[in-house]
Amino acid sequence: MTISRRTVMRGGLAAGLGLAGGGLTGLPGIRSLAFAADKAVASSAEAPAGTLVVVFLRGGADMLALVAPADDPDYRAARTPELRVAAEGSRAGIRLEQTLAPALDFRLHPDAAPLAELYAARRLAIVHAVGLTDGTRSHFVAQDLMERGIAREEDLARTGSGWVARWLGDGGLGEGGHDVAGRVPAIGTAAAPAAALAGMGGALAVPDLRGGLAPPGGPQAAAVLAALSRQGDGAYERAARAALDGLSMVDGRLPREAGGKVAAYDAEGGAVYEETEAGRALQTVARVLKMDIGLRVACVDVGGWDTHENQQGRFATAVGQLSRAIAAFHADTRRYERDLTMVVMSEFGRRLRGNRSQGTDHGHGGAMLVLGGRVAGGRLLGQWPGLASHQLDRGVDLAVTTDYRTVLSELIGAPASRSFPGFQGKPLGVLSA
Amino acid sequence: MGGAVPNPSSVLPAVIALNRLAFGPRPADLDAGIGDTGRPDWLARWLDRQLSPPDPSADERDDPEVGRRLADAKLRIRYPAGDGWSAVDEDRPLACLGQPIEVLWPLAANRPAVAGPERQRPRLEVAAATLIRAVHSRWQLREVLVDFWHNHFNVNAAGEPAVAAALPVYDRAVIRRHALGNFRAFLEAVATSSAMQVYLNNRSSRAGAANENYARELFELHTLGRDAYLNALYNRWREVPGALRGAPDGYIDQDVYEAARAFTGWTLEDGAGLGGDARLPVTGRFTYVEGWHDGYQKRVLGREFDPFQSPMADGHRVLDLVADHPATARNLCTALCRRLVADDPPAGLVALAARVWTDNRSKPDQIARVVRAIALSPDFSRIRDAKVKRPLELVASFARGAGIDLVPTNPLLGELDGSGQRLFGWPAPTGHPDRMEAWLGAAAMRRRWSLLLGLAENRWETGAIDLAAHFPAALPAAAAVDRWQGILQGGGPEPTTTAAILAGMGLAADAMLTPGTKAGDDRLRRVAAFVAMAPRFNQR
Repeated sequence: MTISRRTVMRGGLAAGLGLAGGGLTGLPGIRSLAFAADKAVASSAEAPAGTLVVVFLRGGADMLALVAPADDPDYRAARTPELRVAAEGSRAGIRLEQTLAPALDFRLHPDAAPLAELYAARRLAIVHAVGLTDGTRSHFVAQDLMERGIAREEDLARTGSGWVARWLGDGGLGEGGHDVAGRVPAIGTAAAPAAALAGMGGALAVPDLRGGLAPPGGPQAAAVLAALSRQGDGAYERAARAALDGLSMVDGRLPREAGGKVAAYDAEGGAVYEETEAGRALQTVARVLKMDIGLRVACVDVGGWDTHENQQGRFATAVGQLSRAIAAFHADTRRYERDLTMVVMSEFGRRLRGNRSQGTDHGHGGAMLVLGGRVAGGRLLGQWPGLASHQLDRGVDLAVTTDYRTVLSELIGAPASRSFPGFQGKPLGVLSA
Repeated sequence: MGGAVPNPSSVLPAVIALNRLAFGPRPADLDAGIGDTGRPDWLARWLDRQLSPPDPSADERDDPEVGRRLADAKLRIRYPAGDGWSAVDEDRPLACLGQPIEVLWPLAANRPAVAGPERQRPRLEVAAATLIRAVHSRWQLREVLVDFWHNHFNVNAAGEPAVAAALPVYDRAVIRRHALGNFRAFLEAVATSSAMQVYLNNRSSRAGAANENYARELFELHTLGRDAYLNALYNRWREVPGALRGAPDGYIDQDVYEAARAFTGWTLEDGAGLGGDARLPVTGRFTYVEGWHDGYQKRVLGREFDPFQSPMADGHRVLDLVADHPATARNLCTALCRRLVADDPPAGLVALAARVWTDNRSKPDQIARVVRAIALSPDFSRIRDAKVKRPLELVASFARGAGIDLVPTNPLLGELDGSGQRLFGWPAPTGHPDRMEAWLGAAAMRRRWSLLLGLAENRWETGAIDLAAHFPAALPAAAAVDRWQGILQGGGPEPTTTAAILAGMGLAADAMLTPGTKAGDDRLRRVAAFVAMAPRFNQR
């Protein structure tokens, strides 16, 4: 139903791509760039900021087992070897060149080798000792605070919308959330709508594209559903309209085989997405990104980080899957890289000391990973607080020296106050000037 | 909250009640005059029956129809030969359901190896039984509450195989047994259940550095709730309002740490080493290991625990304290009102329910009394359209309304998994979200419609609609659409729904639909699905 809109919907992304010169249109597989000069239709008043992929590691990822001062005596004293990144041996972590704490030997978990390559290639920056200024050790309070972009629990009750929704706003979005140019500005890859997108009518929750997204029952059912969903303005009717509009827009762009089956996805750059939560979700994001329907934000959830027990094996598996999925996405989307940024975050880090279940309990400070063509990578950023007892938050957890909003505000390039009410922070310089 | 229904007077109060307190009305309920305005006490009398079912552990005896269906049900299981097992491809009865934990526990073991589908089998069987009961059980209100409590005390049986192995016992002996009972007893049954011991890791907690997972969620999710988490006070327990007189308003991280210590030694017979050559047996049953307990003094919710109490006394005392806390009454009653009435229930209703909760906290039917108070409150009948059905409710209410003799099949369970409501498979300890916005995402809407169309057209061999029963003779299309509205939800038809369906199907109002012909039957089935896709059928 929306194919005819193709010619007018390029503005947001194409402009964001910075490819208006059109010099790349001769490259194979880059059909979309024919529209790249069509800047005039960009409906957003402010400069497009490309596409941001927010990967949320659910459960409180143990960043002290992902990016760690391997030789710090306090670190070594607090954790058994199973819970540590090692400085030597067959499973030694991968050394990171860094100036955050030059006296310390910061290393990445050995299963994060794909991330180490991106770091060495200066595409990936890591901000350490970052998180909420609120001291909550509750998953669900911490996730709510971060997704709504606020710092204090007192503000939860009066902040219904997500930070992404406030950033992008609903300006220009029409009925069902899709603006006249037929764009899909935001997607989430979980079944339930992403909380950071709450309040944004145009956001689509699309976990998987492999079976297509057309409404069931063919054109007849689509016609009935369209008529039924016009009956009123209740939550169900609004959701039905948004779904019918957005799903068909995405579905209409899925390449199909002769029999009508959705064709297998053909990733670029030799990328291989594994059958994991992260692999499936990032593949979905890449496909929607390449539809050139104005994707500004994708929210991706990856679970499995709440490692209270037997952390070593679980964490290694999770880190390996995440790292390979990110590397696949990076390879697959290289031609978008100039204006594509990914941030990886979690609601909090975990306790410095391990428990006797060979796991770690809820902590405080964590790390954020930022990847993309605009990122001044190959650096550890922030302020390293140290791991001695008196340097720890509450005497037990990595302290937070950088507010998570500092990182996100720099990435969105919009006035921080809209997404993060009351927040004023100076950019860390994650992005190159 | 949702918008107004176009013609609210057409929705019978009884239909609304049965969408909240049951898995929707059946035509027989409506025909029997339930909700008849001439019998205003029908709901009270219905509650009297529903809230006193016989022994919940004896389902087969007190509900012979469900017993027969459970006995007859089969699910496919199929896998190729592997390391230590031969190939299987068969329709198998729900053989895990009645088994004790020690029979199922080997499914959780690494050695001997077990095929993956065998490990997942208990979850599928409990999901199939849940569907059977949701559609066919006489004890509908109990089934609604069983669904509530499975989410409140969520475990993820789609993750760790040991949770799946423990799920049938958890469903039968913990959730179903206590769903209408006493909360303190319920809490202890959960705390000592194999499923929760595995899921929130208490089984591996040891003195020295206790595992805090269970204790954290005990406070935050199972009892006092996150609104009572005063994290800014962290370890300054004296500053918690009320703490110095032994009645703290809320809990702090220190309470979590201390409670975690109180539950050390609560574990399972999972073969763990006890020192030397000694090991626990391998049955999966709950046990207590004194040597793993942190016996030293503790302070929880402002109360001092003396050192070295008798076995399990520390944990029991924590359960007493959290079960009796006023924040627990508020948190649980908010959750119950959210399930049964509205996403944002009125404060007055929650307060009323909390009073009943507290006044009856030592009664064996505490929960039943609270549910009754909520269902008979003025708010319950006053508030409309404040909930959207979740996929399980959608499936069960459609089957009940349309008169599908629903038999669960693997493909239907797969569709339900894909709908976002993967039964007993929600990864976080919160359980499936209860607020409507979680169920209205684009892909979820599409799945919702697929479920209805697939059931109406019997795509997963779950049972055909008996069209002849509803449509003895040919009738005009408009009359057929109207009749389906009456069958599925009682009351008068909504003209806008009728018009939308006729227009979308390209049918003239007077086009004749003839049952018994392929064209007529196809259309009549689709009309049923389309009526169920209308906003009204999706609300509860």
